[in-house]
Amino acid sequence: MRRSIALFLGVFFLAGFAHQSSAQQYIAVGVPTSLKLIEGYEANKAAQLAVEEINAKGGVKVGKEKRLLRLEALDIRDGEPGVPVSEALLGIEKLILDKKIYAAVVGNFRSEALLAAMDIYSKYKIVNIGTIAMTPKFQEKVLSDKDKYKYSFRQCLDSKYLAGYIQGLMSHIGKQFGFKKVFIATQDVLWAAGTGQLMEKWFKANGWTVVDFERYPTGATDFSPGLMKAKAGGSQVILPIFDMPTSGILVKQWESMKIPALMTGFISPLMGSKGWSTFGSQIEGSINVPFELGNLPVRAYPPATRFYEDYKKRWKEELQSGHGVAPAYDAVYVLAAALEKAGTLDPDKVAAAVEATDMAGAVGRIKYDAGHQLVFGNDPKTSASAAVFQWRKGARVIVYPEAIADDQIQRPAWMK
Amino acid sequence: MLIYGLINSAVLALMALGFNLTFGISGVANFSYGAIYVVAGFVAWGLMEKLHAPHLLADAATIGLAAVFGFYLYKLVLKRIRGLVISEVIATFAVSLVMLELLRYIGFIGFRYSLPVFIDGSVEIFDAFVDIQRLLIIGFGIVVLFALYVFTHYTKMGLAFRGIAQEEHTSLSLGINPDRIAAWSMGIGSGLGAFAAVVILPLGTITVDSGYDVLINALSVCIVGGLGSTFGVIVASFIIGYAQTLTATYISSHYTMIVSLVAILFILAVRPSGLLGRQKELEERV
Repeated sequence: MRRSIALFLGVFFLAGFAHQSSAQQYIAVGVPTSLKLIEGYEANKAAQLAVEEINAKGGVKVGKEKRLLRLEALDIRDGEPGVPVSEALLGIEKLILDKKIYAAVVGNFRSEALLAAMDIYSKYKIVNIGTIAMTPKFQEKVLSDKDKYKYSFRQCLDSKYLAGYIQGLMSHIGKQFGFKKVFIATQDVLWAAGTGQLMEKWFKANGWTVVDFERYPTGATDFSPGLMKAKAGGSQVILPIFDMPTSGILVKQWESMKIPALMTGFISPLMGSKGWSTFGSQIEGSINVPFELGNLPVRAYPPATRFYEDYKKRWKEELQSGHGVAPAYDAVYVLAAALEKAGTLDPDKVAAAVEATDMAGAVGRIKYDAGHQLVFGNDPKTSASAAVFQWRKGARVIVYPEAIADDQIQRPAWMK
Repeated sequence: MLIYGLINSAVLALMALGFNLTFGISGVANFSYGAIYVVAGFVAWGLMEKLHAPHLLADAATIGLAAVFGFYLYKLVLKRIRGLVISEVIATFAVSLVMLELLRYIGFIGFRYSLPVFIDGSVEIFDAFVDIQRLLIIGFGIVVLFALYVFTHYTKMGLAFRGIAQEEHTSLSLGINPDRIAAWSMGIGSGLGAFAAVVILPLGTITVDSGYDVLINALSVCIVGGLGSTFGVIVASFIIGYAQTLTATYISSHYTMIVSLVAILFILAVRPSGLLGRQKELEERV
């Protein structure tokens, strides 16, 4: 009897030990984000794809040991209206304390939630690489106390870079067509209206005439009064900045009302490949700015196309977001490379390795500035990059920046 | 501006008619109305996209399904709490939350869900190009109003509807079953919500969040027009629709969102039963 009990206890402890060592093989990477919003949903899948690829090659070599990665996603809902920041922060702490995550990718949607989460990551020494929230205050906070916030990085472009791309695009349009009159239409939310204000200043400082600056409440379904103002004021370019689903109607009305102006800006619903099937040929000629390469295939930069195709193959559908998805994929690779380089799980050393990253990713060359913001430019061989495309007969033709452009911008048929 | 104001008014009227009909007959404020509108959009999308059903057939099936859903929602849930106003509101709002959040949970997110327009293209009217789908909305609005008038004045059930709306207890003494009529009003109201969905949603995309917007729009129009008054709904739709268009044209689109809220506040302060409502007319006079 005693022998049986001893045998049982022995097996029990061995099983427990075996389970513990199996659990230790994994490095848990958290994905605390808004999983029911398209960017969060697809960024999670992109991170999953990277984890699967890395694990298929045997995992990450940390010192002498090979470790597998495991993704722990949690819907913290901070991108949804009415969800308090505190709830999102609780979700992040839950991942850290319950799921014992070592690092985090993708992260918050709302900027205020990101800024608050940085303190939590700092408290628990969690290396985190965000791919969604865009406030430039992120870098300011990192630089305000570099030692405290050394674990936080951002892999997507911020609103200053976005404004920079739109400014570059407008200069390009100004040179190509000689246009100097613009109508600005934005969603009435902080990031979009803020970008619109930045652009308004820029236009005025660069000799453009701003015919009007209209801000539309979220959910607006009729843009005709604004479009009529644009037409009456002789606008040559309409700059839309929207991420609400009904904003596709703006482009449809632009076409049906034959407004003689280039529709050039950021409209989320028209970003993905399904924009054409959703909105039809009325979006022909409209120009859109996906935030990072890899969120659409880029002929001139094969790593972006490779990621796009791999995502499609793995998930049996093309990604539709213009923001945060390819960066999520790259973020996992950045983390894996840093772990291998540091050769240890010491978060201070891994954070230092992430800071020193210099590698090619789906978004372009990956390097961080002093504020831990991914550096963006116009050539993916030297920095990360955005891309500007024009819808033409159901295809997204890249027209800017020049280093990756497949063609020149064309005017819509009724402008010729 | 005149044309787009008219279209905006027709959209608001179509959104509110179903809600108003149900409230006018059964007294139930159906807070699941916006959810029914959105689910109807997704059902029509599924029928067309996945089962390749023809547009009109998919629309008819969607409207029918919504009507059946509304009918049984009353029979199975609301019948037991009828007359308990707070319970009705809580129950229908709970149904709304379950429907909308379930859609979100099972993955109806993103921008790819849309319905095709009935007729593509645009026409020029008084120097303004208008897409044909928007013009059709005006036509559909007129047809629905005419159909409702015929139904409530020349059919047995329609007359029973009016009887219940005017005096439920007297109608009961004439053999009209109020529960049956209330269930039908929920069914037809839900069907009208689905009709609005298949007509209006081709203008943009179908999203879960629009369920809340539709409910707010329907409530605004009904409160301003007078809960239960069809003519009030029409008048309120024109007032709010044109006020929104004028605001967008002469002030800024930024302020259109507060137009209906200001209208509600004004009406509640001046005439709480609405422009043409009779819910509290006696108390107001006293």
